[in-house]
Amino acid sequence: MTAQRISQNDSHGVSSHGVDSHGRADEQAEEQSIAVSLDASPQQVLEDALSSFDADKIAISFSGAEDIVLVDMAVKLGFKPRVFCLDTGRLHAETYQFLERVRKHYDLALEILSPNGDDVAELVAEKGLFSFYEDGHNECCSVRKIAPLRNHLGKLDAWITGQREDQSPTRSDLPQDQIDKAFSSDDHTLMKFNPLARWTSSQVWAYIRQESVPYNPLHDRGFVSIGCEPCTRAIGPGEHERAGRWWWEEATAKECGLHAQNVTPLIPASGG
Amino acid sequence: MKITFVKKILANGEPCAKCADVEARLRTGNYLSRIDETQVADERDPESDGMRTAARLGVERAPFFVVENDGGEVVYTVFFKFLREVLEAPVSNSAEASEILRDNPDLDLI
Repeated sequence: MTAQRISQNDSHGVSSHGVDSHGRADEQAEEQSIAVSLDASPQQVLEDALSSFDADKIAISFSGAEDIVLVDMAVKLGFKPRVFCLDTGRLHAETYQFLERVRKHYDLALEILSPNGDDVAELVAEKGLFSFYEDGHNECCSVRKIAPLRNHLGKLDAWITGQREDQSPTRSDLPQDQIDKAFSSDDHTLMKFNPLARWTSSQVWAYIRQESVPYNPLHDRGFVSIGCEPCTRAIGPGEHERAGRWWWEEATAKECGLHAQNVTPLIPASGG
Repeated sequence: MKITFVKKILANGEPCAKCADVEARLRTGNYLSRIDETQVADERDPESDGMRTAARLGVERAPFFVVENDGGEVVYTVFFKFLREVLEAPVSNSAEASEILRDNPDLDLI
C-alpha cells in the first residue's frame, strides 16, 4: 500500500486520463477529488512509514522545535521510533534543555549527532566562530549539520522530517514521501517522509495545544523557526518564519535549474 | 575519454555562481587541462551549445559534466562525485556536504 502511495505522490498529482484540452467539468472534479484524497494525514504517513521499514532502518529527524509533533504522533500511534537530533554545538541552552525534557517525557533513546571535531576545528581555525555573518551559512551548516546528517542517513533506509510547504518558497511543492535524491547513492536508495508537508504552522500549533505536547520555551519568546543560536532570532507579527533565520543574507537566487527563455523550452519546465 | 563541462549563463546575463565556483575549483586544482570542451548553457538562447546538450541528455541543472567513453556517455550533475570518480581527486566530506546543501537549499532548515 505504501509503495503505491509513494508513486502517486512522486508524480505530484493525478495523470490527465486523456482529457482533451477543453476539459470536462465532471472529469476535472473527479481528478480534483482524487488529488485531495492522495494527501494523507500526518498520522497516516507516519504509520505507513514506520510500518514499512525495519525499526532500526527508519528514524525521525527532530530539530528541537515544533517538529516535536512527529515524535508525539509516533508514540501515540504505538511506535517507539528512533529519533535523532543534530547537535551543531551552537544550539540555544533552552533547546538542549528541551531535548532532555523530550528524552524523558517520551522515554526515548534520543540519538544526538555531533559534527566531526576535526572539520569543526579546521573551520574555526581558518575562519573563526562567526564566519557565517561574513560569507554565508552554507559552509558552517555543511560542517555542523549536513556532513553528520549524511553520515547518519547512510545507515538508514528512510527518514522522517518535519518539513512543511509553508516554511519557505523552496518547499512549495514538497511531497509527503519521496526518494531522497540528495542522500541516495548509486547503491543505496533512501526514502524521505514529510508527514507535515501539507500542514500549516497554525495546524501544528493547534495540535501542540490540543494534545498538550511539550515544546521549546523559545517559541513563547517569538522564535518561530529554531536553529543555531547565532543564526536564529525572534520575529514580529506577520513576518515569515524564514525571516528568523540568516536574516543578514540576501534572498539571492540559489537554484541551479536551467530555464529556457522565450520560445518553446528545450528543457522540461520542471527544472526547479 | 572526452570530458565536456557545461556552465550556465543566467537569464539576466550574469554567470551562474555555482558554475563560477566549480570552474575556480577546477582551476586551483589544476584540473582544467583535463576538460576537453566547455559549453555555455545560456538561458537567453535555447540554441546555445550547453542548452542543446542539456536538452538532449535531459539534464535540468547546471553546471554538469558529460564524460564520453567507449561510445557511451555518463552525466555528472554532482561536481564532487565527478571530481572523485572521474578526475580521481581527493574530496573532503565537508566539501561534499557543502554541495549537497547548495543543491538542496531547503536542507538548511532541518
